[in-house]
Parts: sequence; structure tokens; C-alpha cells
Amino acid sequence: MSDLGTALVFWPGAAIMLLTGVYVFRTSSMARAGLLLLAALGVEGLVFLALAAEFLGVLQLLMMSGEMVIMVFFMVMFMPDPGGLMGMDMTHDKRRSAVAAAAVAVALAAVAVATDWPAAVVTGETPDLRQIGFEVMGRSMFSFLFAAVTILFAMVGAILLAKQGGRLGLPAPGSDRPADDGDDGERPA
Amino acid sequence: MIGLPVVLAVGALLFAIGLYGVLSQTNAIMVIMGVELMLGAAMLNAVGFMRYAWPDAAGGAFFVLIAMTLMAVEATVGFALVISTFRHRRTAELDDLTELRG
Repeated sequence: MSDLGTALVFWPGAAIMLLTGVYVFRTSSMARAGLLLLAALGVEGLVFLALAAEFLGVLQLLMMSGEMVIMVFFMVMFMPDPGGLMGMDMTHDKRRSAVAAAAVAVALAAVAVATDWPAAVVTGETPDLRQIGFEVMGRSMFSFLFAAVTILFAMVGAILLAKQGGRLGLPAPGSDRPADDGDDGERPA
Repeated sequence: MIGLPVVLAVGALLFAIGLYGVLSQTNAIMVIMGVELMLGAAMLNAVGFMRYAWPDAAGGAFFVLIAMTLMAVEATVGFALVISTFRHRRTAELDDLTELRG
């Protein structure tokens, strides 16, 4: 992609990404917040495409569309006011949070602008995708395998954490064994 | 003209927005959303470095892959913790969770 093409995608993409990112925490509808986050991270995928990272851009779009839809379901299930119709305030320390975030933004942006970064010759050509394959199957193979095992452990751990009654399940009727997580399976009417 | 400082500055703003969400929200799921934005900023930085500083090195792309893995793991474990907490306390509000022992 040419410099002009990159700029035409990057600037609107960056603006949409930042605006939708801000509105994630300003809207009171939780379903809307999840979809705004999907928009922010999806547009980030388009920005990756503009920056000649096609593989990562497509991967980002695919992953985020799946993950954010699941997140919307969780928000509707577990938020006390998912539709935002009751006017609940689910924030605290807004002023101090805003000050801390602004300070971090200014500090990081100042470092980004003031540092003398190494500059490579940027061409319009797409980088060779095979390099990623060689990297994954060569120098970084151990890290790649470690990431795969981490995902497996996360899946097993998540199932154990979320299972009713903890890792051993609910005790049998008449059993003295307490549930692993203290949950006896009974719910208040 | 876009260069590395511009990409990094946009990444810094995105990171700050995520940080604001993590610090200001009381619900665990909204905090997870803030962390997602912060990780998204880290990925944007890595892609910027890949494009404008070291275009021939595939290590940057690999870093983004690892960050995406981290996002998935963080969301998975976070959602499981929310389910577990909700079973005990009937809430996912972090202000109500003041002790580890229920």
C-alpha cells in the first residue's frame, strides 16, 4: 500500500478506534459497550492491514469478532443493569482515574515523540509472510509451544473454576462432603 | 505522512483509555474490557515497530501473536472468575469483593 493509502486508512481508523474506545466506558448500555469494544479492536485490525501486517490484521478481525460477541453475552448475563435503563452508576474514582490515565498518555506520547527511533526504509511491498512461519517454527518455537500449553491450561482452569461445586462437583445427596467451592447447589427462592 | 512516533502516540492514547477503564469501572467484566484495550495498544506498538523500524524482523509479528494469546487467556480466566464469584456472592461488582474468604 502506498503512503497515501496507508494515511487514508490509518487516520480515520485511529480516530474511530480512540473514539469508540472512549465511548466503551461512557455508555450505560452494556451490550452497546461490548459492541463498541468490538468496533475499536476491529478497526485496529484494519489499521494493521494499512500498516502492511495483513496476516495479523485478518487474525485480529477474526479473533475480536468472536471474543467480543462472547463478551456481550457475559455482560448481559452478569451486569446488574445491562440495558442501562435504571441509571445505575458502575464507576468509582472517576476523577483520579482520568488524571492517572491522562498523565500516562502524556508521558508515553512524549517518549514516543521525543525518542530518536531507528528508521528503516519503508517500501510499499508486503513483508514476506513466510518469515513468520520460519520464526514460529525456528527461533521462537519454544515460546510458541509455551503459548499453546498456556491456552490449554487456561481452558482447563476456566472450566474447573466455572464448574458448579468447584473442581469436585456438587456432593452427592446425603453426603457429608462439602462442595469444593462452598456451593451446595441450593438457591434462594 | 505516518511514522513510528505517530503510531506509538496513538498506541499511548489507546493504552490510557484502557487504563482509565481499569481504574474507574466497578464491574469485573468492564475491567476485563479495559485490559483488552491496553493489550490492543501494545499490539499496535508492535506492528508500528515492525513497519517503521525493523520491517525484516518477524519477531514483531510473533510478539503480536503472543499478545493475542494473552488476550484470549485473560478473557477466558477472567470470565471463569466472574462465574465463580457470581455463584458465591451473586454479584460481579468489585467494590463488594473486599475479602478473599467468603
